Amino acid sequence: MAYYAEKNFFEDQQLIELVTNILSGNLTLEWYTAEGGRVRARPSDLRRGLTYEDCNLGPYGYDAIPEFVRNRYSMAARGSVLVSKLPDLGYTINRRSDVWSDNVVALYEEAKARRWAPAVDVPWAELTAGDSVREAAMAQLCTFLEEVALVAMEMPSKWVFSINQEFLELKSFLCAQMIDEARHVEAWRKRALTSGHGLGRASVSAEQALKELLSAETYPEASLGTNLLLGSFVLAMCRAIAALAETRADRLLATLAMQDVARSVAYGVGHMRYHLAHQPGKAVALAEYLDRTEHVVLGIAGSPEFLEPVVILAAGSVDRDRLAAGSRFARRWYTSAVEEYFERAAAVGLPRRERSRLPRLDV
Amino acid sequence: MSYLSTTDFTEDQPFVDRFERMLRGDLDLSWLDAPRERVTCRPENARRGLTFRDLDVGSYGFTDMPELIRENRSFAPRGAAMPEGLPDLQAEVNRKSEVWAYNVEGYYEEAMTRQWNATTDIPWAELQSVELPEDIGKAYAQLLTFLTEVEMIATDVPAKWMGRLNADFFEVKNFIATQAMDEARHAEIFRKRALSTGWGLMRASAQNEFNLKFLRDADSFAEASLALHLQAEGMVLTLFRFSEYISPTEGDKKLFRLVMQDEARHVGYGMQHLKWVLDHFPERREAIHHHLDEAENFVFGGGYATEVLEPFIILSGKGLKKENIAEGVRITNAFQLKQADEYFERLAKCGLPERRERSRLWKMIDLRKQTMAA
Amino acid sequence: MPAVSAPPPLRFPSRDFFEALREAMRAERERFSRLGFFDTTFGVRISSDDGGEPAEFALRFEVFDCVGVESLAGVETDFVVEGPFAAWREMLDTIHALGAADTAHSLNTLTHFGEQLRVRYDDPDGHDKLYRFAESIQEFFDLSARLDFAYPDGSRPPAARAERQRSAR
Repeated sequence: MAYYAEKNFFEDQQLIELVTNILSGNLTLEWYTAEGGRVRARPSDLRRGLTYEDCNLGPYGYDAIPEFVRNRYSMAARGSVLVSKLPDLGYTINRRSDVWSDNVVALYEEAKARRWAPAVDVPWAELTAGDSVREAAMAQLCTFLEEVALVAMEMPSKWVFSINQEFLELKSFLCAQMIDEARHVEAWRKRALTSGHGLGRASVSAEQALKELLSAETYPEASLGTNLLLGSFVLAMCRAIAALAETRADRLLATLAMQDVARSVAYGVGHMRYHLAHQPGKAVALAEYLDRTEHVVLGIAGSPEFLEPVVILAAGSVDRDRLAAGSRFARRWYTSAVEEYFERAAAVGLPRRERSRLPRLDV
Repeated sequence: MSYLSTTDFTEDQPFVDRFERMLRGDLDLSWLDAPRERVTCRPENARRGLTFRDLDVGSYGFTDMPELIRENRSFAPRGAAMPEGLPDLQAEVNRKSEVWAYNVEGYYEEAMTRQWNATTDIPWAELQSVELPEDIGKAYAQLLTFLTEVEMIATDVPAKWMGRLNADFFEVKNFIATQAMDEARHAEIFRKRALSTGWGLMRASAQNEFNLKFLRDADSFAEASLALHLQAEGMVLTLFRFSEYISPTEGDKKLFRLVMQDEARHVGYGMQHLKWVLDHFPERREAIHHHLDEAENFVFGGGYATEVLEPFIILSGKGLKKENIAEGVRITNAFQLKQADEYFERLAKCGLPERRERSRLWKMIDLRKQTMAA
Repeated sequence: MPAVSAPPPLRFPSRDFFEALREAMRAERERFSRLGFFDTTFGVRISSDDGGEPAEFALRFEVFDCVGVESLAGVETDFVVEGPFAAWREMLDTIHALGAADTAHSLNTLTHFGEQLRVRYDDPDGHDKLYRFAESIQEFFDLSARLDFAYPDGSRPPAARAERQRSAR
């Protein structure tokens, strides 16, 4: 136990008298006149319900959050009337452009609306376990994706505790990311364990790479690395699995996961745009971060635990001729994933095409 | 100052060579031969779908998970083959009884299927049409201000611990993720409702903020869970039930029923976690009592939070007139006694029946009961 | 009594075709609501086999509904899915026969490497909306299974198979 109350309240006569008085009907009503400002939030679109955008009103709104949050270190709700003696809860991330994105409010609402539950939304009964090398490949691929999802879940959880509560909508989106990735941990594991092959092998290169991403020193780096860089490739992975699926269950599983990952990528892009618009000097440091960190996606997407199963799924077997076709698919996949990552990076103001050390392939 | 992977993959020629070989169809396939337990998991109950309980098989399952996780310090999924070279996650919590709870997998699956949406699942249009009188409106806005203020402590605290738990405890991590989302939703619904009353937000609650700091600064997951899930959320659950009872509109009743469902799940985890700890780690009993001594100190100090107690009285009694206050006090007294009763009852059910006798909080409650009876 | 002839079938590609999809989506409100908010405007471009002008449409989606079908010209879109008539026809034929796209003919599969259908966009953020709303977009096109339509040459998509199967195998 680290923190103790300022007194032993059981011996606090003043407290006992206060409560006794109130429960005798003598209310203080000291809070009764403390109004944060009268507003009435209404849904602007009844189909959509009452969104956070509808609540973006006056001192309560996210538009009112300053760039530097200097004197609010408690969990007092934004716009509420502060009182003296609020504790400092120890937030270390107090600068809006370190975390904010213009699309984060909409993405939070979208995440809630587009939720799904793997247990019941994937038609598991349609899957047939089998001895096939395809199923073995799928089991290995899902083992790998479970590892990735675990780390993607831990990234937001690592930072949310340190982020000022003024950034409520952003913290809420991080919660949505956590549950999205929990869902992916669950879904990929379930898919592997329905295959008949059990789980595959953990990936040394992917895990080393993921640990490097997870240990980013700042939130902007963590978001850039996990949402934009890794997210780009994981999105491409989900698309590939959906494209290679032979069953409705696998197509649906990969498509639903794709939706979730695409939201994280959208936040990553939006966050970088906002961050660099307000802190343009950080572009140099973030470019250097990518210079030294970008290699991790090769460790992840180039891991045999990912790439070989993809080749096999594309090939349909391990016959030499079929593997040639499968490897052509993998080459195209990698090239297209790198290209789309470069596009996103350029769009946020971090052009990578000339600087990147990622291998380029002749397709 | 970050971890650097053991190689720079783009400069690691053997790695790049292997990458290029794979892309020419020259596969190693050694992962196919990795030793493994071959299982085929199927939904035991088709209506429930494929659950974590269906995956509780052999080395993949949670039942056979040992008390101490000695082998896996990486991100390797439980039961996966673990080659040499996996990184050390630096997990601080590697003992099952620090985190586990009976039925944690059930709580997770329930959470995933029972996610609701504060934006769309409340009848906002209906609530708009109701104009609350000033005394009720302000009291309600103040209660909502308190609730929106405190809810996300139960996001921040469990999330802080998620990355410190061994990866083998992923069912617990997943449950934490659902709780984080539940609490974000609660902060959202109470904030939105406050802003829709026409009164906006009212006063922050200093005394409760100190309680939040206590919860944040717990120095073990077990302590954090005990104080958060069982003590704090247990009492909040009773608060939600009474709030449903005193709600000014049908739409508000629905609101409290929805948040109550989530809260009950969190409390359920807290109870089952305490049970697990006491069943498997009985030497923790004294430490638990010591932690609850301070947690209850904060609870009692909550009496200073007039911005919580008084709105409750006004809402219960439905107004500020003398007779309303009298009725409000009667109901509020009943609520507080029930809240305490249920808290100690939960502790007793979890294997801590002696708590009531040891507790200063209980002595004060008992004193109040006697005073009321007299 | 004079015989009442059946209304002529819709034509693909045509604005009426997409308007009919819009109506069908309205009838499936609950299903699309469960999938969640669906907020994007995207274009569909069907190239003509004879090298003539492509058929182009902009489809607007908001909340849970398709709120507009219009000509693509001058409309700001998040992305445009384009491809030759033959590719679109193959997709629609499959949907009509099976009740929904099979895995070989889902929009994701067809656009995956841009070989059959391509995705054009100005901003990667707009592009990513194809993935954020992937299942809703797919189910929108799957609604064509219940439409009565014909192609420019007068031919129609195959009749629904007695036992609809959506796996490629």
